[in-house]
Amino acid sequence: MGYSKVNECVIATDLYYSVADNTWARVNEDGTVYIGMTDIAQSLAGPILHAKAKPVGKVRKKGRPIATVESGKWVGPIKTPLSGEIVETNKALEEDVQLLNKSPYNKGWVVKLQPSDLENELKEMVTGDEAVEQYKEKIERDGIQACAHIEGTEDYE
Amino acid sequence: MEDFEGKKILVIQTHGVDTPKRTYSPLYYAVASAAMEIETTVWFTMNGTNQLRKGVAEMIKLDPSSNVTLASMLQMCLDNEVKLAVCQQSLALWNMTPDDLIDGVEIFGATTIIDLALNYDHVMYF
Repeated sequence: MGYSKVNECVIATDLYYSVADNTWARVNEDGTVYIGMTDIAQSLAGPILHAKAKPVGKVRKKGRPIATVESGKWVGPIKTPLSGEIVETNKALEEDVQLLNKSPYNKGWVVKLQPSDLENELKEMVTGDEAVEQYKEKIERDGIQACAHIEGTEDYE
Repeated sequence: MEDFEGKKILVIQTHGVDTPKRTYSPLYYAVASAAMEIETTVWFTMNGTNQLRKGVAEMIKLDPSSNVTLASMLQMCLDNEVKLAVCQQSLALWNMTPDDLIDGVEIFGATTIIDLALNYDHVMYF
């Protein structure tokens, strides 16, 4: 996996992003996708205290919540960037919810989805250099401070 | 997580700027509720009304080191589709008119609150 950094915020360049909602999608070989929150999202939220994913079997339209996340200073939904059915939730988060902070692109995935319109909806997401460029603009436009990383965050070098 | 989509919660907030530490939590719960796709309304009455006067909530900050104010919390509610409503009669209590209110707040009468309380799944009173 390749990474880029913008203002200390990590962007994994092989993932697809919904920049507006700060979420990512990784397409698996079997056609399912992992969905998660970005490094910027975890930094804005701060250390996560609780996360509750929607149940397996729940069908979601793009933009609807797949989970609710709360920290000491923020609470809100994680909105799916793709439509589909939740086929798995990340049990590791029940043991250590701060995997969302420490490993947002790997161990901290939130749900696995069986997408229903992957080809079309992926076109509305960005990846690679385009994602990096859009995040640069967003960070500047929204005045987002340098991303903070808690102890135990995985090494992105 | 159990699926609560379609449920409705009414949060009644009677605390205002004179008791800042009692202002944040009801709004935080309301946002959490909305994030869980529960239809959520916060009803401001009695002292709760005064935080809705334009320019007031910006001055209420619980953590001096943070840039989060009560205004941020109210905006977070609106961003998450929490409905904010104020008691018509309470406006007069604080010498407020509809023009004094921040944007995004609806004005309901007492009969509406009774309707809401009877029709929502749960009422949280603060």
